[in-house]
Amino acid sequence: MSDKALLVEAIPQTNEPLRIAVRRLRWFKRAFHSFTDACGKEIGAEFLVDDVKLAAIFVRWLEAIDRQKPSDRSKRRDFFEFAASLMLQEMTAEMPLSAKSAPRIAKAESAAGFWPEGYCATMFCLAVHSAAMSQEFHTATEIDPAIDDLRHWWSFKENALEDARFSAGFLQLLLGHKPNWLMPDVFRARLKDELG
Amino acid sequence: MSRHSPIGPDPMPLREALRGLRHVLRKGGQTLADTVSTDSMPKSAATLANTMLREAEDILRRIDTVTSGLAKTVLGGETPKTLHLAKLSQSRDADVQFSQAVYVALRSVLDQVGAPNVFISEAAARSVYQHAALRADDKPATLAANLTLDLLSARVLRGITAQDAARVPGAALESIAVFAVLLWLQSDRSDVENDAALAAATDISIAVAGEVAKACGEKNADHIAALYEKLAAHV
Repeated sequence: MSDKALLVEAIPQTNEPLRIAVRRLRWFKRAFHSFTDACGKEIGAEFLVDDVKLAAIFVRWLEAIDRQKPSDRSKRRDFFEFAASLMLQEMTAEMPLSAKSAPRIAKAESAAGFWPEGYCATMFCLAVHSAAMSQEFHTATEIDPAIDDLRHWWSFKENALEDARFSAGFLQLLLGHKPNWLMPDVFRARLKDELG
Repeated sequence: MSRHSPIGPDPMPLREALRGLRHVLRKGGQTLADTVSTDSMPKSAATLANTMLREAEDILRRIDTVTSGLAKTVLGGETPKTLHLAKLSQSRDADVQFSQAVYVALRSVLDQVGAPNVFISEAAARSVYQHAALRADDKPATLAANLTLDLLSARVLRGITAQDAARVPGAALESIAVFAVLLWLQSDRSDVENDAALAAATDISIAVAGEVAKACGEKNADHIAALYEKLAAHV
């Protein structure tokens, strides 16, 4: 388990359950802006957010989760984790943020220094996921040590830029799962040993 | 409750006329600046022409300020409203509330996309609501879809230039702006979230611009209603 801090405090409060709020663009947008600001401060970079791209990502993400949402309630928790990975997939397909300069604080050989945009988008998905899991299931999210290994980030960037579906597998990996790398974006195609 | 000015029981026609005047003045000023070039004139003629143009622009600016100020402060109708389409029909002056909300919201949407000079007809919006076939058993999405098509056919937005239209994908500014406002009117939101919800409705409408333009172009109310049903909860 990695001790990487998830900046969950940068996720704005809401009167609604997070699982509802995250499906409203006005909250999603506020959360993304708030998170990128906090992440930028942490790594010493300033990010520009493209709201038009962000809205397109949000709509595609909604469509993707609506298409795959299982009717069986016992799979609800698994699908929560899966939904976060689809969010990262949509973000890497059309990156909604750009760093104005190289991070001043994060080291060049760290994930944030290597790919600030990919790092920030990934951490956002993990933070939202962590906050929602804590609220819905009262469980703490454990992050796989792979997050601290730059080789995984190299592979993530290289493969995701070629095929954004790889990002879904990468997030599942960070959440401690064994992704089905052939179909990382298909909920029903999760590996048998993952299903238990 | 609608806000009435001391000028009369219904200031809307005067407000519409003042906005029309403001629109013409702004367009005229823009056309003047775009059309008249003094670069190729002899120096003495150019000096005289530039002086006259500056004075004309100054007059236009002052009239613009007066008409804007009158339309906004004296005649009212510029206050954002937190309305919900489904509850609107229960109001005694639903047509007034609808048209004012549509005006203010369209103004905000047009500002957001960078087309602030398009004329919005509050009178057309009111007429649309007055003549809409409102059936109690219609779903909000169905009502919204019919109102969308009626607003477009009543040309609630006027004076859209090619440059304005191109601010959204597919140059479908009219459809996108009206769709965004009706989407916002169906969204569940508090007063505090009103502006953010409208901005989000605009962003979503731009994200699905192709589908909205197609449905509106084909006057397909079922398709528009289906889009509202799918998206209204996500604003």
